[in-house]
Amino acid sequence: MVYSSILDWVNFPDIMANPYYPFETYNLPYDISQKLWEIIGGTIAWLINLLFPGNPVSEWLVCDMTVNFFALIIFMIVVFLVVFIGILISLWEERKVLGRTMDRRGTMVGMKGFLQCVADGFKTFMKEDTQPRKVDRMTYMWTVSLVIGTSMLIACMIPLSDRWYVVNYNTGLLLIMGLFALAPFFILVSGWSQNNKYSLIGGMRAAEMMISYEIPMLILIATACLMAGTFNIGGIVQAQYDTMPYFIPQCIGFVTFFVCANAEAERTPFDLAEAESELVEGWQTEYAGMKWGLIMLADYMRGYVSCAMITILYLGGWNLPFIGDLNNYVPELVFLLKTWLVFFAMIIVRAALPRVRTDQILNLGWKVFMPLSIINLVIVLLLKMGGVF
Amino acid sequence: MTMDYLEKYRDGRVNTAKTLWVMKPIYLILRLFNKTVVHRPVTILYPYEKLWMPDNYRGRPALAFNTCIGCGMCARMCPTTAIVLVECPDDEGKPVKRPQVNMGRCSFCGYCAEYCPTDAMTMSPIVELAEYTRADLIYGPRRLAYDHTTDGMKIDIEETLLSDYQAGNGERRINPAKTDRPVLDNAKCISCKKCFKSCPVQAITMEEHGKNAKGRPILWPSVDDQKCVSCYTCVDVCPKSALHMNEVL
Repeated sequence: MVYSSILDWVNFPDIMANPYYPFETYNLPYDISQKLWEIIGGTIAWLINLLFPGNPVSEWLVCDMTVNFFALIIFMIVVFLVVFIGILISLWEERKVLGRTMDRRGTMVGMKGFLQCVADGFKTFMKEDTQPRKVDRMTYMWTVSLVIGTSMLIACMIPLSDRWYVVNYNTGLLLIMGLFALAPFFILVSGWSQNNKYSLIGGMRAAEMMISYEIPMLILIATACLMAGTFNIGGIVQAQYDTMPYFIPQCIGFVTFFVCANAEAERTPFDLAEAESELVEGWQTEYAGMKWGLIMLADYMRGYVSCAMITILYLGGWNLPFIGDLNNYVPELVFLLKTWLVFFAMIIVRAALPRVRTDQILNLGWKVFMPLSIINLVIVLLLKMGGVF
Repeated sequence: MTMDYLEKYRDGRVNTAKTLWVMKPIYLILRLFNKTVVHRPVTILYPYEKLWMPDNYRGRPALAFNTCIGCGMCARMCPTTAIVLVECPDDEGKPVKRPQVNMGRCSFCGYCAEYCPTDAMTMSPIVELAEYTRADLIYGPRRLAYDHTTDGMKIDIEETLLSDYQAGNGERRINPAKTDRPVLDNAKCISCKKCFKSCPVQAITMEEHGKNAKGRPILWPSVDDQKCVSCYTCVDVCPKSALHMNEVL
């Protein structure tokens, strides 16, 4: 058998030509993952082929099906890593901006304070994982896993552009909102299972809060979808690019949705479930060590998803107006920058406003946001009937 | 329904135009954010950056070794007796007396710097004095050195004398205590010359005033007004308490 060059094994074929390609349109993270597997798997195949020339394992490592399988595994890692780093950056942004709004500096550990997240992660990881004796073990563990899991799932499912997505089908928005609204149920059950009055009050508050902001929020989402004529996230963004970003015609809805999204992410001033100055740590009181660290990460993931929803529904997603085809270069970065901008507004709100009472959030939800969202819906209907959109 | 909720805004309990509801705190926070981004926050990174300190900041006492005359005024005035005079070699190896400060007892009042007649003792802005043992807190004369003494660190006492005040004169005099002069009670003097030997500025000369019954010369100290720094050393060493200080009051 003659010697074969590594270049015979590492070649970058067109991903769309692969018969097992899992998407319908071009997908950038999958492209990256497939090329990565071409390099890794191709090198392994070449090395095995050097030792055992003409063996079937080398052929198997670079065949269409295997490439597809390993590319999907790397695809998961790539998508998760990008979202994860984006969330860490928003965490860093929160710490720095909150510091500046309090006339101090925020975190200062490495890379302008960015590495503080890493230090915190290590710290929570090294902590002892204690568990109270009288908790209901099964619900205690399962609910927190589900809160973290659903938060991570929807954070990864937010498309960063029309080429950077995990699923792209016509009810993507509904799926994300459905998963997003699940967390308060888990928080309620988790608070119940912990056998602790603080946790129970926190869980009850989460449930109480959910019934007040969820309905205006869903009406607003339905309004945006009505205006765009589709539930597909790409379709909504494209509709905004064709007409105008929806925060202009739906300015009432934009403000209302911003406040509701704040509540959905359970950030101050709506962090009733985790009111650290009243209840010890709210529903998270009995979670220790890495469990608490992951809950905290999940909080920021939900904040990121809230900001991403605002960006998608009202700020025109990954497109910038007036620059035409330049939008094709880095739409992912544009999307993330817009998300961080919305997150900045959330941080300012957090810095400025005190926590609302439970009766206040109920009053706000039912007596202010609900009529406002209906007014917004009426405006959109009139615009639709008038043929403006 | 909505109007019920908005009732407090309508009947004047809450003036929305004045409080701007949630917009006012947000505006204030944005203004503060703008200020702290353009300028810097008030907090500093302490071990790496330090606050600017004024010249008259009272940190640990500092000594200019060669300016000091060893008069002991600082040791005498120290309210916590943190300062003692110790003998140590000067630059030529001659033994001289210089103050030694125990920082564990120092109360940073600055009297030593105020009363120093030659401004050799000043208050430096050094405040980081932590040590592992109490013995390490004792600063010898050489260790008290501080290189960056400025004119602003040299303090004078400004005060209105009681006599001036009673005469209706509110003039603030600078260092009036430096015009105190030792006065001799002639009858007590035994001509031992201890004041002459101990004077740090050689302001005292012994003048002969006749002979005593044994035929020895009677020597009485006379003080040179220009040289005297009113340091009380002669008063303290006099074995018969013949000298006392004529204080300016």
